[in-house]
Amino acid sequence: MMKQIWAMARNDLAVWLRSPAAIAAALLPGIGMGLLVAVLTNSVGQQPLALVVQGKGRLAGRMAKIVRADTDAYLINEMAASDAERAIGEQRVAAIVVIPENFDQAASIGTAAVDLYLNNIDLDLADDIRRSITRSTAEFDAPQLGLLGELHGPSKGILLPNPFRVAVAEHDLRQTNVSFLQYQVIPIVVLIIVSAGLLSTAILTARDFETGRAKMMVLSPAGRPSLVLGRLLGGTLITLALVAPLVALGFFTRYVPYCAEKSGTPTWLQAFFSGPCAWMLSVPSWTHSLALVVLLMGVTLTTVALGTVLGIAIRDERLVTMAGLNAAVYLFFLGGGFTTVAFLPDWIRTISRFVPTSYAIEGLRQALFYPDLVGFNKDIIVLAGCAMISTILASLMLARAWRRS
Amino acid sequence: MAHLRRNRGFVALTTLAAVSFLVMVSLFGLTGSKAPVALINLDGGPYAARLIEALERTNHSFALKSMNANKASEELHSGQLVGIITVPAHFSQEIEHGATVAIDVQIDNINVDLTSDVQRALPAAIVAFGWRHNFPGLRVRMVEHDVLPNDTGYIPYLVVSALALDAMLISGILGALAIAREFESKTVNFLRLSPASVSAVLAGKLIVAIAIATGALGITVLAIILIYGVVPISLFATLSTLCACTAIFTCFGAWLGAVLKRTLAAVPLLFGLVMPLYIDSGALEPARFDGEPIWRIAHLSPIYYAVGALEWAYHGIRVTPEPVFVDLLVLLGIAIASVALTLGRLSKGETR
Repeated sequence: MMKQIWAMARNDLAVWLRSPAAIAAALLPGIGMGLLVAVLTNSVGQQPLALVVQGKGRLAGRMAKIVRADTDAYLINEMAASDAERAIGEQRVAAIVVIPENFDQAASIGTAAVDLYLNNIDLDLADDIRRSITRSTAEFDAPQLGLLGELHGPSKGILLPNPFRVAVAEHDLRQTNVSFLQYQVIPIVVLIIVSAGLLSTAILTARDFETGRAKMMVLSPAGRPSLVLGRLLGGTLITLALVAPLVALGFFTRYVPYCAEKSGTPTWLQAFFSGPCAWMLSVPSWTHSLALVVLLMGVTLTTVALGTVLGIAIRDERLVTMAGLNAAVYLFFLGGGFTTVAFLPDWIRTISRFVPTSYAIEGLRQALFYPDLVGFNKDIIVLAGCAMISTILASLMLARAWRRS
Repeated sequence: MAHLRRNRGFVALTTLAAVSFLVMVSLFGLTGSKAPVALINLDGGPYAARLIEALERTNHSFALKSMNANKASEELHSGQLVGIITVPAHFSQEIEHGATVAIDVQIDNINVDLTSDVQRALPAAIVAFGWRHNFPGLRVRMVEHDVLPNDTGYIPYLVVSALALDAMLISGILGALAIAREFESKTVNFLRLSPASVSAVLAGKLIVAIAIATGALGITVLAIILIYGVVPISLFATLSTLCACTAIFTCFGAWLGAVLKRTLAAVPLLFGLVMPLYIDSGALEPARFDGEPIWRIAHLSPIYYAVGALEWAYHGIRVTPEPVFVDLLVLLGIAIASVALTLGRLSKGETR
């Protein structure tokens, strides 16, 4: 029986490898999303600003220094007023910050203003800039209200008086140095697993019915259980063949200086390659590695079996591709791809609880980025349950469909 | 038309994909502001109330939820909150006496973007609080001059740019289907041999695909107006621009179908392409704000020009430095090139 299962799986693998369109269907959405994350990372946080310093005094200089120093929030272009006006018109900058000529005199009587000319084209962008500039002006009178003050001021027992009379004692919940890109790349891995697992078996199964190969298989001397298990094993191998090198690359890139931040690589090249480069994963402990493998297997088995169910239900290669891609998009977004599910409205959170990828994404993040495995038991129980149910369902449906064909 | 009628399921799933992308993009928008934060007010005095007011009003930063410490801690650790702000006891009394009081803030710093938003919003709220009471010693304030009369909300901005994504996805797939089917069913040589010119056949195929894609996009526009409540400033300009985008992307899809010759190859390629092209097209904010290299790359994406035209038609805002007519001209150029290349492919039939 093992021989027959292996023969079926090997056959599926060979058929799939000869189908560039199927390989593209499995990989392209994931690669597309990976590029998207890279571009998104580039646009998160920093906004291009023109800084026009008209004041020549000491206080104007200090204000300018505060703005220049906040490199987390701004990409500063210092220029003359006329150049700044041109720059905002050409969208080279999102806003102009003007420290006026009379800044020092006005500051001495408590009426100084920093003018912000803002391209308020959308609320998210405009609010980011408003918050950042306000923080900079606050730092002028109360240095403790800057980021360093929030992190290392009152929270470390250093409370200096400030004219706003309120300070912030910030305590971060996690000791982690996970970048935005690393954090967001986990859903991409899951998307690739979903696309590969779902589409590979769905397309192969649908093709069996379209081409009449299903009848031939039923007539073969191999028993139906061997064929069913062979199909599922084939799908699993296809998925692992795609995902395993990606994960391996994720660990390997840590040792490639070219991938490191501030490596001097041109931005466009970074945007193109930062999908795989951004992983730069540390090798986890054996418990976390085991958890990683179990989670990857759980989500792979679930999607492979669901793909088989989809293939049997639709039995049309083109329709199955379209339905599979739709399903992958839902599983990705509702599972927490690019969003934090906990921050969405209640009804979406309720739906998300029934989406197995949300457990996979959460579990993978815990396994890769955090010292403890909080919630791992729940994640793995749900995924194992989904894998088991979908495998049983797929086996029964496939056996029945082949029998009827 | 008969081809597409036989592929009703495919057309329906394509339309579903368009609506799905719209919904999913708006999910992304929902997490862009109003971070859920627990508020524990141990003071209850007037100054605490005013600080809370300032926090609530600070640039759509916080969705404050009053709760006790245990519940807040439980929700923070289970990932339902971004942070906990605790206003200490005797806050009002100490402020009254001119002392500086530290408010305790715990942040779940798992997401850099949200953490930065909170870190920047807290000083903004404190500044508003300080200036409201005109405490002595305050010297500098920010004076804002907006370029546009109104801010466009994030979701309204996103859903309109999602229309461009939908236009490319639906029209592209239907255009690709219309041509790739001829190669798949090996009828492409018959087209070459038929008495009708290849261009007339192509025009017929494209018109049907455009009509169906326009219908599907019409459903999406209706969803934006009726469900999201985002109404265009000019319905005529919006519909005209959308129709133009649909026609252009259908031509583009037809070319893709002629090159790849298989629906199964064209569909995932379009799926894989649309999201990165969408994000690098001024979909979340004008592309040039993401830096010059990203902006230059964006010019390779037809969605860049479509977003530029649609945001102008829908909201009256310019998201590309190029004038809108340039965006439309480039799109027209893409359509003409696509049609010419498709005709070239069809004329060669199966010989390639």
